[in-house]
Formats: sequence, structure tokens, C-alpha cells
Amino acid sequence: MSVAAEDVYRRVDAADDLSSGDIAFLSLARSRLGGEAPPGEAYDPTGRIPAYPRPALLPLPHGREIAIDTMFALVVTHSCEIDRQKNLGASSDHFDCRLTVAPIVAEPAVRLVGPAADDLAVNWAAIEANQPVASLFLPPIEDVSVLAPGVDPLPWPRSFADLRGLTTVSRGMVAADRLFSLTPAYLGTLQRQLARFFTWRDIARHELVESLVGRIIVDAIPLNRRGDRLRIALTADDGSSVTVELKTK
Amino acid sequence: MTRLAAILKEKKTSYTAVATRARLQPRTVRQLATGETSIDNVAVGTVRRIAEALSVPTAALLEPELPLPGDPAASREVRLSAAIREVMWSGQPVAYASPVEATEADDIAGVEPQEFFADMPAIDVRRG
Repeated sequence: MSVAAEDVYRRVDAADDLSSGDIAFLSLARSRLGGEAPPGEAYDPTGRIPAYPRPALLPLPHGREIAIDTMFALVVTHSCEIDRQKNLGASSDHFDCRLTVAPIVAEPAVRLVGPAADDLAVNWAAIEANQPVASLFLPPIEDVSVLAPGVDPLPWPRSFADLRGLTTVSRGMVAADRLFSLTPAYLGTLQRQLARFFTWRDIARHELVESLVGRIIVDAIPLNRRGDRLRIALTADDGSSVTVELKTK
Repeated sequence: MTRLAAILKEKKTSYTAVATRARLQPRTVRQLATGETSIDNVAVGTVRRIAEALSVPTAALLEPELPLPGDPAASREVRLSAAIREVMWSGQPVAYASPVEATEADDIAGVEPQEFFADMPAIDVRRG
């Protein structure tokens, strides 16, 4: 189910502290080998992303280059991290200037395609429900001037922040061209998406699972049930154990 | 997508065909169409010859002026307004790798954030 703009966005004033969820107009850098082309038709022959407007290329020595995309992006660095050095009493001159941001992809700029360049009808419905781990849905706005006084009364299209394109920019750049921000409630959804993205759907305990390979499970004890999920403690013949969670429906 | 690429697509013509008519190297046309070389960085005569070869006004090939972040020539409000128009509502949609991987949601896609983080203790903000 889609969320309403008033539940997602909040107004910010220029004097407000920077925070997670700020949306700003930024230049984002992607460094890579010269002419590197990711697979798929979503990229042009030189590896740039056509949906990102007017990329610039800066050559680096030894066959490297930086592609720069100038677009809106969402600050994903946690507000506590942004404020941490200030709270510790550090001078603002010594703050770590980096903020991690995700590019915002607007619906009018893209035709979403799957790995085989096929159009998937479920794309936007899934994105609206924040089903993919790599995106955070951003609903349309009828008139951005309500949230950003002084900006022209323009609509904002349906879009999403693409966590696959995370990069860093300076605090000063976000402060200079900040448009609006996310509500505290929707920041919770951003944090859940970040946790899902970086842990890939669940917190994986690879070392525990690997240690059980080749062992015989000698006992399985049901633990607590939460919703439609059941936790079970498995014990191997060497005495080691691991807890797994199963979907029961 | 550059304006030149959009016109080539609309007219269903190739780099080579345009280059031949404009007396240019096909590579030059390709680099301009892909944006590898900015059309702002080539001789006016080159742009004019491509425009003539495509039977379009020269201005049709020029990219709209995209305001840059921090541009002191424009106020913050003017920069942001122009950026919304040019960036968020850019012309023709192009293929983009979808973040959607499956037709069905996984187990925890719909878990509310409060439940998702229910058992996690907060980290002390004063940590070093």
C-alpha cells in the first residue's frame, strides 16, 4: 500500500541541522576504470547511466575516471552519526564532512527493466510497498512549494531512492541545496530498508551455518513464535547449535 | 539521453548516415549522441552541420541549461526549481535496472520498523 506525501515529507528551514532523510540537489561521484561498462542495456556504451542527467566525466591517471551525476539525492547517514562529533564537543572545523547519500530516481526519467531487459509490470507497485531491499519509495507531491517555500509551485513525481548508488558528499553541499526532508516516522522505514539492504533480508550467521556442514542434527527444539515465524534451535552431533527462523504459512 | 540521441531515435537514423551527410566521422556523431563529448565543447560549425543533416534547427541539438548545485548566479530557490523541472521531469524515459528482484515480497518486506527493530537496544550517542 502506498504512503501519502504528508506522511513522508517534512519542511526544513535553512538554519535547521542536517539530518538523515534530507533531500538535496547534489553532484554525485562514481569512480571507476575508464569506459567500464556494467552488463545490461540500462547502461550506455561507456558505462554511464542514461537516466542520470547529463553526467560529466573527469579523467584520472592510469585509466581511471570519475563519472559525476547531478541530481537529487537522499541523506541516509543516521542523524546520531551526523551529530555525534558535535555532541562530543568537537569544533565544527573538525567534523567529518562526509554524508552518505542515495540518488533519487524519478519515474518520468526511467523505464524499469529486469536483468533480461524485460519490463516487469510489478515494478512500481513493489517499489511503492518498499518490497525491494535496494529502494526507498518516495511518493509524488502536488506542489513542492508547500514543503519548500520560495521554490516554484511544481509537482514532484513518483520516485525512489536507489540504495545501489550510495556515495558520499560533503555536509556543506547538502546544506546549500537542501529541498526538504523525511518525517521521523518515515525515517524508520528508511532505517529498516538500510538494514535489509546491508544484511540482505536477514542477519546472516554464516559462520554458524558453515560449522554445521557435514554434521548430523540430533535435536530440534521449537522456541518462540512471532507472527507467522517460528524459531527453532538445532543441535548437531558435536554439541554445537544454531537457531533458525522459519516461515510457517 | 541527449537531445541529439533523441532526435536520431525519433528519425530512426544512424550515426553513420548522419555523419556522411554532415561530412563528419561517425565516431564524432556517436560521442555527441551518447554525451561522451558535450555538444557545448565542439565547434559551432560541427553542430550546424549535424543540424542541417537532420533538418532540425541548431538550437534543437543544444542541451537545456541545467543549474548546478551551489551556482552563485542563482538563488537556492531558483536552482532547486530549475532542478525539479530538468532533473525530476526529464524528457524521454530510458531503460534503468529495476531494484525489483521478485514478484512476491520476502518475509520481512512488510514488517513495520517498530517490530523490525523491536529487540535491538539503542547505541549510546556519546560513543567514541
